[in-house]
Amino acid sequence: MSEPGIGARSGPRPEIDRTDRETMERLASGDLGSLERLYDQYGAMSFSIAYRITGDRASAEDVVQEAFLGAWRNAARYADARGSVKTWLLSIVHHRAIDAVRRRRPTAELPESEGAMPAPLVLPDAWTEISASLDRETVRVALDTLSAVQREAIELAYFGGLTQTEIAERTGVPLGTVKGRMRLGLDALRAAMLAMGVDRG
Amino acid sequence: MADHVFGGLHCSDVEDLAASFVLGALEPEEAAAVRTHLAACPEAHPEMAELGSVVPALFESVDPVAPPAALKGRILAAAAADTQRATESQRATETQRAPDVPRATEAQRERVPAARGDRAPGGSFTHLFRRPVWAGVAMAAVIAAVAIGVGYAGLRQQVDDLTAYRDAVAAVLADASKPGASLVNLGAGGAGAGPGGFAAVGQDASVKLVMHDLTPTSGAQVYEAWLIDGKNPPVPIGGFAVGSTGTASFATTSASAKPGVTVALTLEAGPGATTPTMPIIASGAALSQS
Repeated sequence: MSEPGIGARSGPRPEIDRTDRETMERLASGDLGSLERLYDQYGAMSFSIAYRITGDRASAEDVVQEAFLGAWRNAARYADARGSVKTWLLSIVHHRAIDAVRRRRPTAELPESEGAMPAPLVLPDAWTEISASLDRETVRVALDTLSAVQREAIELAYFGGLTQTEIAERTGVPLGTVKGRMRLGLDALRAAMLAMGVDRG
Repeated sequence: MADHVFGGLHCSDVEDLAASFVLGALEPEEAAAVRTHLAACPEAHPEMAELGSVVPALFESVDPVAPPAALKGRILAAAAADTQRATESQRATETQRAPDVPRATEAQRERVPAARGDRAPGGSFTHLFRRPVWAGVAMAAVIAAVAIGVGYAGLRQQVDDLTAYRDAVAAVLADASKPGASLVNLGAGGAGAGPGGFAAVGQDASVKLVMHDLTPTSGAQVYEAWLIDGKNPPVPIGGFAVGSTGTASFATTSASAKPGVTVALTLEAGPGATTPTMPIIASGAALSQS
């Protein structure tokens, strides 16, 4: 599985890129209206993700509020090379929500101090994303191609905030098996999305 | 690929950890080691991009859960307060670095005289917004109104317009913080720029509304406000014209004003409409703040 293109820098999506960049420029300049538009666009999805991870509305509200304030404060640090504003924002939400659930566990180590920006996608320009062109139905169909244990491992990690070691303990399988399930699951997800013609247009 | 060791990890180790890394399932020190390796390694490690590129798609698999309507207002108010805070720290930095350079924020500060007197000495307001508490946060209302006014009215607007709009927002937020009152965030419901505003629905059947970014009315046109309660027909509660500022405020009373009611705005050809003309310009539900 190494189709050229997917792993490489995304091709131009001029309209999205331009709109996103303008949004971030206005946000960075302190335009509250652009923050409101960002919320109108992604607030519901942000809340859904925060609720999925934290499991309670009060925590989800706190997470979303912190994430939007984080975006407000750090808009100037957004680099369009890292992907769409949507992914950037939702990654902040994800990061803070995971922090929130890990903080509840007395033994868990906290990955980063308060105020640090999320790092899951912070890597050189080689990072790309195909998610910007996805719709919910495509993703659901793609996820259905995963085995139940692959999907479980991925969801325990990404929405449960568990480490691979914790997933192994939770599911009672060796660590190597957990790694394999996550790897094969992501490979399957990618293959399914490619098969459905999801690519940068 | 050639094998390299960076961050204590071989290239093969990094490949082995790639799926766990992009899913955030590594211990913090393991993740840091992977980052160290990737930053230094001459190999492209395409597996990272390949696996990482599908991860954001997982967001699309999350079942939608509607956020509370009041969350938007809280975020905007907190950001508005934060503007003040950022301005303070920015000014401090600039003062140290270049005391004689005029600061962009001065113009804004001149424009919003209320901000000066209401700012707590050296303090941060953000703690006020951590919880959904509007009651008693009159200062927050003023700050939010100031910043929202600045944001929407635009720098070319007259200070008078700004002040009027700011006062109107402050009045709505003050009403919404009264016992038994509800705050309504009115939005256009779509992406991109559009009209929006706030309304307060009081226990005393009062409705106070303030809007921004409305298209100016012409001729006999009015914006008509409606209260929609369940399946009952929309109740018109009055109309108003809008000038070049695009902002407007409006107050009335209605027997239909109660918590849970939806406040909606339509553009009508003239006053006295009895059924709303689509589309709805902006709408929102009245949610209790207590």
